[in-house]
Amino acid sequence: MQRITIDPITRLEGHGKIEIFLNEEGDVANTYFQIPELRGFERFCVGRPVEEMPLLVNRICGVCPEAHHMAAAKAADAVYKVEVPPTGKKLRELLYSGFYFTDHTTHFYALGGPDFIMGPDAPVAERNILGVIHKVGLEIGGKVIQARKNGHRVVEIIGGRKVHPCTSIPGGLTKGITEEQRKEIEEIGKWGIDFAQFSLQIFNDLVLSNKTYLDLILGDIYTHHTYSMGMVDENNKVNFYDGKVSVVDPEGTRIGKYAPSEYTDWIAEHVEPWTYLKFPYLKKIGWKGFVDGKDSGVYFATPLSRLNASDGMATPRAQEEYDKFYKTLGGKPVHQRLTTHWARLIELLYAAERIVELATDPEITSPHYHTVPTQTPTEGVGIVEAPRGTLTHHYKTDERGILTEVNLIVGTTNNYAPISMSVKKVAQSLIKKGTIVNEGLLNMVEMAFRLYDPCFGCATHSLPGQMPLQVTIRDANGDPVEVLKQFC
Amino acid sequence: MAEFDPKDEQSFSDQNSSAHPLIVIFGLGNPLLGDDGVGWVIAEEVQTRLTGIQADLAARSNFRVEVDSLSLGGLSLMERLAGCQKAILIDSIVTGNYPMGTVFHFEMEDLPAAYIGHLSSAHDVSLPTALEVGRSMGIQLPQKIVIVAVESQIVYEFSEELSPPIAAAVPEAATLTLQLLDQLIE
Repeated sequence: MQRITIDPITRLEGHGKIEIFLNEEGDVANTYFQIPELRGFERFCVGRPVEEMPLLVNRICGVCPEAHHMAAAKAADAVYKVEVPPTGKKLRELLYSGFYFTDHTTHFYALGGPDFIMGPDAPVAERNILGVIHKVGLEIGGKVIQARKNGHRVVEIIGGRKVHPCTSIPGGLTKGITEEQRKEIEEIGKWGIDFAQFSLQIFNDLVLSNKTYLDLILGDIYTHHTYSMGMVDENNKVNFYDGKVSVVDPEGTRIGKYAPSEYTDWIAEHVEPWTYLKFPYLKKIGWKGFVDGKDSGVYFATPLSRLNASDGMATPRAQEEYDKFYKTLGGKPVHQRLTTHWARLIELLYAAERIVELATDPEITSPHYHTVPTQTPTEGVGIVEAPRGTLTHHYKTDERGILTEVNLIVGTTNNYAPISMSVKKVAQSLIKKGTIVNEGLLNMVEMAFRLYDPCFGCATHSLPGQMPLQVTIRDANGDPVEVLKQFC
Repeated sequence: MAEFDPKDEQSFSDQNSSAHPLIVIFGLGNPLLGDDGVGWVIAEEVQTRLTGIQADLAARSNFRVEVDSLSLGGLSLMERLAGCQKAILIDSIVTGNYPMGTVFHFEMEDLPAAYIGHLSSAHDVSLPTALEVGRSMGIQLPQKIVIVAVESQIVYEFSEELSPPIAAAVPEAATLTLQLLDQLIE
């Protein structure tokens, strides 16, 4: 059996690698997407006061500290059974919208977008944000930098720091915002709406108007029919910060919504011998393997699944784009996974609109942003939508609030099964007997997981955390017969 | 809200604006991830030693020196470097080619690969690419960046402790950092 190894994955930190096993005929027999797991976080947390968690979890991940900060704060609220006042909830959601704005912008322009704007066959040295700047124009670079700066500024104003916020505590926040700060955030939101619409226009002009890309997006190789998951508000509209988690089947029928405290009734985890990471699946449906369909408990949790699992967007411009999305793609739900990049831009627009909505809310500058907890702490679950999937924090404490048990299901973990399925399907479609393995083809395999915006590092790692791409092709005996490299 | 203006330092990096040129020393890593956090510990040691020689430095040079510890990479690190004239980045490294605790240094342009550890980010680009993006935007970025690295091993397990050989390397790495600083302010 031949083995092709893509190790490590370009543009993703960590030591993840893809192994593609070929049969005697040179067709793909199986693929394994292996990633390292940071060890010992639960043990690290046990024995600490639960109110430390929003600060501590900031350091789990170098990519989405704001998501962990919010999930931890909500879990700590639940542990203390304390109701956050309306202003506190709105301030947290406002901070979170600023974070989403930066995160989605960065993914589109630095990670996912280059595959389309430069093309999957473009040399890898050009398939990055510099290539985008050269192709779209120097002005785009300034806009991206400005967008990141603006999102960070919202986080800094409300969260106290630009990247690792520190103001959310059980019961609310440690500080509010002034009228001057409110105005600044409102202006940032208005600028963001223009930027998001500009980004959607770029996607329309460079991707949707390109028949080759459109065929690739709508083709079968990037399509999976699984369940979709996403948090919704009381009107079943997409919400990143609060609500219930909606689950719809592959035909688009909602099978239910669960509150954070009910997550163990809905989610179970499957174990495979070849990886330490677990595969979450829908408990009510059951684990049937890495397969599509209504009978398989595999689900995905991404911008695309959030749109599928909702009845719409809560802001007007994003709703218009939502309608256009489903009209263009033939109705709900959409299963062509590469459309996730488009869905991400619709969420970018929603985040900007939500910033303006919350910044102009009459309560946002109220001094009533915290409720002092008075109950004895016990157990609680907090859920938010991280940009890359539903994020669940579950804590148990003793009567002093000292942690006795911690369980996390991080955003990307939800997507481990569908990512593995997508990688296999793309590899099977593109690597056949006689196919020459080249950089563009391998990048299309990588595109299969890049669309999920995975974050496996969950921390910044030591040098050299990200290495050049190396592909090893092995013969039936496992001996290498060819080694392909880039950045080496 | 002011539009992005790369020539206006305030527009980008508020803390880096001053009449005096700035040298930054950044410890990189995750302080909760064992040896991964060695950059932070060295930066703290450098800060402590700098306190005693601050007056001497001020007498010899017009440069301001700022020390910080960061969990940033890629575009975020580039953004943090905006407005600085020179920089020293302190980090852990896992080459597997040297004994644990080996301390060495190299310049940014001598990086063995563009995509590398804390200098890149899981969610954007490598620091060299980010610097190129920044410079193409006209952002003022350090002309000279030196990296101090410590060969490490335990970087996948949550812990606030450094392993013994890594902890033992901290004084040497701090001394090297200050020697490099001495050269940079000339």
